[in-house]
Amino acid sequence: MRGAANSLKYLLLAAALAYPLMPFRDVYVLHVLVLIMVYMVLAMGLNILPGFCGLLDLGFVGFYGIGAYTAGLLTVHYNMSFWLIVPLAVINGALFGVLLGAPTLRLVGDYFAIVTFGFSELVVLFLTNEIWLTRGPLGIPGIAPIALDVTWLATLLGIDERWRYVFRGEMPYYYLAMVMVALVYVVMRRVEDSRLGRAWLAIREDPMAAASCGVNLFAYKVIAFAVSTGIGAMAGAFLARWSQFLSPDMFKFWESFLVLCMVVLGGLGNINGALIGSVILIALGEVLRVVLPKLGLPAETRFLAYGLIMVLIMRFRPNGIFTQVAESTMQSRLIKDLRARLDARRTA
Amino acid sequence: MDAILSVDGVSKRFGGLMALSDVSFAVERGVITGLIGPNGAGKTTMFNCVAGIYTPTDGRIVFADGAGERNVAGSKPERMTTLGVARTFQNIRLFATLTVLDNVRIARHCRTSANFFGAVLRTKSQRAEEQRIIDAAMDNLDFVGLGETALSPASSLSYGDQRRLEIARALATDPKLLLLDEPAAGMNPRETEGLVDLIHAILSRGVTVVLIEHDMKLVMRICKRLVVLDHGVKIADGSPQEVRSNPDVIEAYLGKGAAHA
Repeated sequence: MRGAANSLKYLLLAAALAYPLMPFRDVYVLHVLVLIMVYMVLAMGLNILPGFCGLLDLGFVGFYGIGAYTAGLLTVHYNMSFWLIVPLAVINGALFGVLLGAPTLRLVGDYFAIVTFGFSELVVLFLTNEIWLTRGPLGIPGIAPIALDVTWLATLLGIDERWRYVFRGEMPYYYLAMVMVALVYVVMRRVEDSRLGRAWLAIREDPMAAASCGVNLFAYKVIAFAVSTGIGAMAGAFLARWSQFLSPDMFKFWESFLVLCMVVLGGLGNINGALIGSVILIALGEVLRVVLPKLGLPAETRFLAYGLIMVLIMRFRPNGIFTQVAESTMQSRLIKDLRARLDARRTA
Repeated sequence: MDAILSVDGVSKRFGGLMALSDVSFAVERGVITGLIGPNGAGKTTMFNCVAGIYTPTDGRIVFADGAGERNVAGSKPERMTTLGVARTFQNIRLFATLTVLDNVRIARHCRTSANFFGAVLRTKSQRAEEQRIIDAAMDNLDFVGLGETALSPASSLSYGDQRRLEIARALATDPKLLLLDEPAAGMNPRETEGLVDLIHAILSRGVTVVLIEHDMKLVMRICKRLVVLDHGVKIADGSPQEVRSNPDVIEAYLGKGAAHA
């Protein structure tokens, strides 16, 4: 059973890698797949807060927007390289995360959720009204695509050529998004199975017991916020250079809700769940976008479908699709060693 | 007396309610002290003041960890744990969805240091530390007799084993003083017997134990000293024999006039 699940996983991965090279590939499908991967990164980033730490964050999209505008503005004004922009956007997102988190993470439960919600609305208001910086509702068009410039390598090798590749069409973005998802995935898996991840899970399970184990609740919540918002900003930076256009209404509250739905649907605290949740909800959104108008309903009614899904999940599978938390812990080498030792002890 | 903990005139007020008023007592290093009293006497409040969950409204709590004495009243819980004060909870507070091992591994938090970058890069020192955490956690689990169940979910343990797991978790923080809040509550006689052995084993590891307990037979048997609280006031302390014959204590437990009956 486990072997079959593994083979299926590799088969899917191979299919995903090969799809853009197939003759039957479709630009629209590629676009949707890239969008899914952007949301995978967002969902994995958000998962840290409600999933690992038990903090309800309703304002995640604010940091997505901060990352996107950081990237967009740096590209338009300074023509900076994407590879330099990503770390800057991540740092900027994390910085705003700490700025928001430091005063508000002492709040608990619903109060914290309301503050984060308010923050994301503030981000949208800022982007709409500070026209000198963001051009307001006009948005930022004409953001340059990503370029990979390795001329320095050519110079180093003594070749007098310009080795510069500009990302055009969906295919290069598709592969870059895959790299981004893989990177965030590995980082999240490693953090989950570490002293930091365990401290987060302890906070989620029982803050008072966590503090009694020596976990500084406040410090670890702020770290969680910084990592989560940094990842959100990274997805935003990618979005800016991929869509090549930004406007404030791309970062409305609904986006936060959508990402939260993905995390809850997949299973709070399960990294694979965040991935599955993104696939299901984005794919469903695209299907509904086509189906609903045919039924004579406006496309916005798809939010009703999201709501219905959440109700059904709460009724029939309240812990989401994947219920296991700290999954990677069980697969780490140290734990496998320990399991072998315990088995040996039991038989001895 | 070599006191590891001295509570000096501690009061705790919740609005109009004085949960503790001017309580003073000392805990001798290396022996078992019992904190007893009727329901609502302020025993758990006292523990919470010592463990850093509550800040006393008034008074000093002096912790002598061998290196020196310091007033720790108002310190944060994580600070108290780092200093060497561990506790268990009256209503079991385990990390229920995590494994037995993870419950104890989390308790090594205050004795380890790897951060985000160590976790992501899997540096050599981080991997070595993870191995040490597992070894220490397993030592403590074997100590309480739960080594075999290390990889099961904590919620799958029996009630008595969950209490033992809480003790293992507290011990994994390397405490000098261990506060046990009703460790025998809900245990059957056999489990209680095992608990007595466990507490003595903890003592022989050089950990001083203070326990809150309602099982008077157990308290009289294992405690060398008792402190009795009633309505937030200390009404007696001394050896179990002294406390047992103290008229105030009998009155607190059995009502007015009972001492003369």
